[in-house]
Amino acid sequence: MTNQWKLKEIVLMSVLGVVFAVIYLMFFFFGQGLRNFLMPFGLGEFGYEIIFGIWFIVSIIAAYIIRKPGVAFTSELIAGVVQVLLGSPAGPMLILTAAIQGAGAEFAFAITKWRDYRLRVLIAAGVFAAVFSFAWHLYSSGNIALATWLIIATFAVRIVSGALLAGVLGKWISDQLAKTGVLRGYALGKEQQEQREHDQAV
Amino acid sequence: MNMIKQCNSSKLEPLIRVENLSFDYDNLKNPLISDISFSIDHGETVLLMGGSGSGKSTISLCLNGLYPDAVEGFSSGEIYFKGKQTTEFNKGELNQQIGVVFQDPESQFCMITVEDELAFTLENLKTPREEIGLRITKVLEEVGLSDYRNHKIHELSGGQKQKVALASALIQQPSLLILDEPTANLDPVSSIEFITLIRRLKEQHHIAVLIIEHQADDWLALINRVLVLGKNGDIIANGTSEQVFNDQRERLIQEGIFIPKVFMKAKKYITKSCEEISSSTKPCLTVKDLTFKRKGDVILNKVNLSLYEGEFVAITGENGAGKSTLLQLMSGILKPSQGKIEFLGQSFTKWKEQQLRKQMGFVFQNPEHQFITDTVFDEVAFGMTLNNYGEELTSQRTNDLLKHFQLSELKWRNPFSLSGGQKRRLSVATMLDETPDLLLFDEPTFGQDAQTTEELMFFIKHLQEQGTTIVFVTHDMDLVDTYCERVFVLNNQKIKFEGSPSELWEQTQTLKEARLRLPYRIRHQKKAGEPYDFVY
Amino acid sequence: MISSINPSVKAGAILIPGVLLGLMFDIFTPLIYLIFIIIVTFAFSHISIKKWLLIFSPFVLLALGFAWMRMLYTSEAFDSGPVLIQFWHIEITKGAMEVAASLALRSLCFVALSLLFVLTTDSTKFMLSLMQQCKLSPKLTYGVLAGYRFLPTFKHELDVLRQAHRIRGVGRAKGIRGRIQQFRRYSIPLLANAIRKAERVAIAMESKGFTGERERTHYHEMKVTKRDWYFFGTLVGTFFLVVFLSYSLGFLNIFGKDIN
Repeated sequence: MTNQWKLKEIVLMSVLGVVFAVIYLMFFFFGQGLRNFLMPFGLGEFGYEIIFGIWFIVSIIAAYIIRKPGVAFTSELIAGVVQVLLGSPAGPMLILTAAIQGAGAEFAFAITKWRDYRLRVLIAAGVFAAVFSFAWHLYSSGNIALATWLIIATFAVRIVSGALLAGVLGKWISDQLAKTGVLRGYALGKEQQEQREHDQAV
Repeated sequence: MNMIKQCNSSKLEPLIRVENLSFDYDNLKNPLISDISFSIDHGETVLLMGGSGSGKSTISLCLNGLYPDAVEGFSSGEIYFKGKQTTEFNKGELNQQIGVVFQDPESQFCMITVEDELAFTLENLKTPREEIGLRITKVLEEVGLSDYRNHKIHELSGGQKQKVALASALIQQPSLLILDEPTANLDPVSSIEFITLIRRLKEQHHIAVLIIEHQADDWLALINRVLVLGKNGDIIANGTSEQVFNDQRERLIQEGIFIPKVFMKAKKYITKSCEEISSSTKPCLTVKDLTFKRKGDVILNKVNLSLYEGEFVAITGENGAGKSTLLQLMSGILKPSQGKIEFLGQSFTKWKEQQLRKQMGFVFQNPEHQFITDTVFDEVAFGMTLNNYGEELTSQRTNDLLKHFQLSELKWRNPFSLSGGQKRRLSVATMLDETPDLLLFDEPTFGQDAQTTEELMFFIKHLQEQGTTIVFVTHDMDLVDTYCERVFVLNNQKIKFEGSPSELWEQTQTLKEARLRLPYRIRHQKKAGEPYDFVY
Repeated sequence: MISSINPSVKAGAILIPGVLLGLMFDIFTPLIYLIFIIIVTFAFSHISIKKWLLIFSPFVLLALGFAWMRMLYTSEAFDSGPVLIQFWHIEITKGAMEVAASLALRSLCFVALSLLFVLTTDSTKFMLSLMQQCKLSPKLTYGVLAGYRFLPTFKHELDVLRQAHRIRGVGRAKGIRGRIQQFRRYSIPLLANAIRKAERVAIAMESKGFTGERERTHYHEMKVTKRDWYFFGTLVGTFFLVVFLSYSLGFLNIFGKDIN
């Protein structure tokens, strides 16, 4: 699989992991703020759930830009490894979590045989990443021991967050990025270039 | 028989021969590099020049076989290395014969420490483990970095990083070394040190060197031949530096090529353009007993200085002397640990943030950092919208500014997609929704080509004439000599010198301590009598 | 010393108990294992207690908050036994309390295990070991390292962006819309620069003769020795020992089912 990828695409996945590690930090504090705000209402659990989708965004951005099989999974895995290299207190367990989330996103792209990168597929990728990660947390964080209504409610919030913060936001950021011209050497940049040429021709 | 033939051919055959090379990123209809042919001999040193965006760097990556594959570009024509077509080499094989040092010291390494980076190159060559250590020791000695073997690369200075890059190119024992603007991001003294190092290596090794540069001045002594790439992607000059810069000077200037100062007839760099010192004594900004600490380290210690209205002032000093920190303190985005700063007679603590930002501008080293919107127009209009100028006034003033900075035709483009010079002009324009009283610049000409610098200085002079006080943090002493009325030298947490540039040029000791280089004008004057340049 | 243990083996030694802890719902098992990890941490590494506490203590608070949630909203399967605390309209049973404490301890076990890894492992060696022991492709190994190198650059850039935005008069973001705008303002310049750098560094690596093929020599040879397996055996073995002990003492609870 890695033979089909160019080195620059792999380094791109890695820098996405690093940049989002920095951005995640900002979100982590935001999540904590939300949690503290919701805690007195007994809804602290939702604090992180609302922003959970941001953890899947690397998968969506990388897959949308590079458009090759395995990118969604590998980019998320790399993001996990990078965070461990950066000394994340979540340690090697994070790599496992990242692999599971990445597998979720990859699943959505696999269904379309890695040919369709329209918004709906990106949203589906965010949703599947949310589903996979939720299942994993039921086990690893012991969320299974929570009351059923709470499990359903947090699940719903995580799915919405995955769809919006990973799927929609991921596409939006990538499109904005393509406009800066830095993606010229990648599938997304090329598609937009062709689009522009087509528009000019018409 | 075959062997003998090869030996013979390699004697006559140049090291590298390019025939009818064309290249483009998208298609070959109107290629970036258009049908060029040239060759480089064994041991020859060739300078390749060309305006911004003319494809100089692209050529170097075509030579070592990475392009067009790496960018999925298109090319035609042939390149022969030691008589063999480059496409016939196995992947990676050619790269071992051609070492490259790139422009950006931040992005040419993949390992954390110096030792690991050098080992990475040798591992690629499948060098046996026992040999790797020895070769690292040897190459570090050659570039003078023996003490830095276990240091982290990101903690080194820019000059040291470029030497590491050079070491990892040399360690492959290449027969061609390509230097792609290796000193563009270095301060003047580090730049001279790097060039001196190359000069010494050239004496020891029989190695061909291809140098790609905007500013050729300091390289001239080394160069056997000059190639110039024109705007249309063809080679417009090929000969010795005298032939090229004397005989084709006019043509090159038209193409936006920077002529080395030795070949300039104009008195531009030999006489000083501004001598009169502005007479204003009304202080614009005063810094009193300013101390700044970062993580317990004292960066600035009891600094005092005053700026007067309408002045053009430079702050200079060695890398890490705290110049940028001082500038940030003067703009109020950093808070001093001790001391006081007054702007227009009022202490910073009393200024309202919004008002302060209106009357004072700050232009960052990298213009991109200041861009916050999607289009050039919105970028300029942003401040006015924020200050409730009203739609009509905003639109009118924005269009005026865009016109003034020659950006009108680009107004719906994304700021990031502009060229280096356009980005720089835009970043200045964004600071001018009202004519500010004070405009601070952090190394605005760093890594920029000659034309961009000149354009920028034109606009800045214009602002100064309208009464704006200008402060530059810079290493460029030619700039200080030409434009500044006063200069501050920072060293060891304090201001070591304050006065006019011509006074500074007399202070040999201060210049040496702060690792500053005399401007060309003074070096030129002194050359007749005592040769002065403390590196040589 | 733990810092000299082969990183891949070390990661394995931490992952196995980490994953299996997910099965345990009693207090005894994670508590004893947590104590064991802390002892190992300080007995066999040079991590200063102060530094460790500085990182660890916020997670204690986090775990308490976590436990509180679990206690309030326990699933029926666990919500059993006598009511211990009763106030307002909330009742907390013994079962709920136990499960909450168990999960909090489990999360602290994760943190302690992770710290044992991240505070004693050199990033470069970890990647090299993944390549040499776990057969990760060199392309991925060096590609990841090349990106990771940029962290200080990006952190610095984030600071500069913050200052530059202030100069432009951008205030603190308000509301969801503002947040998203702010996210864009930071991420686009960071990403644009990151992508350019990724491209440049990839070209630089290939210029140094890197092709990504697996056949290459290794300057730092990462070996797995007996000592590494002792460490692995100790961490994983002790886990099973603790599980067995808790079974013998009648504490063990797997997925809410008391195992006696």
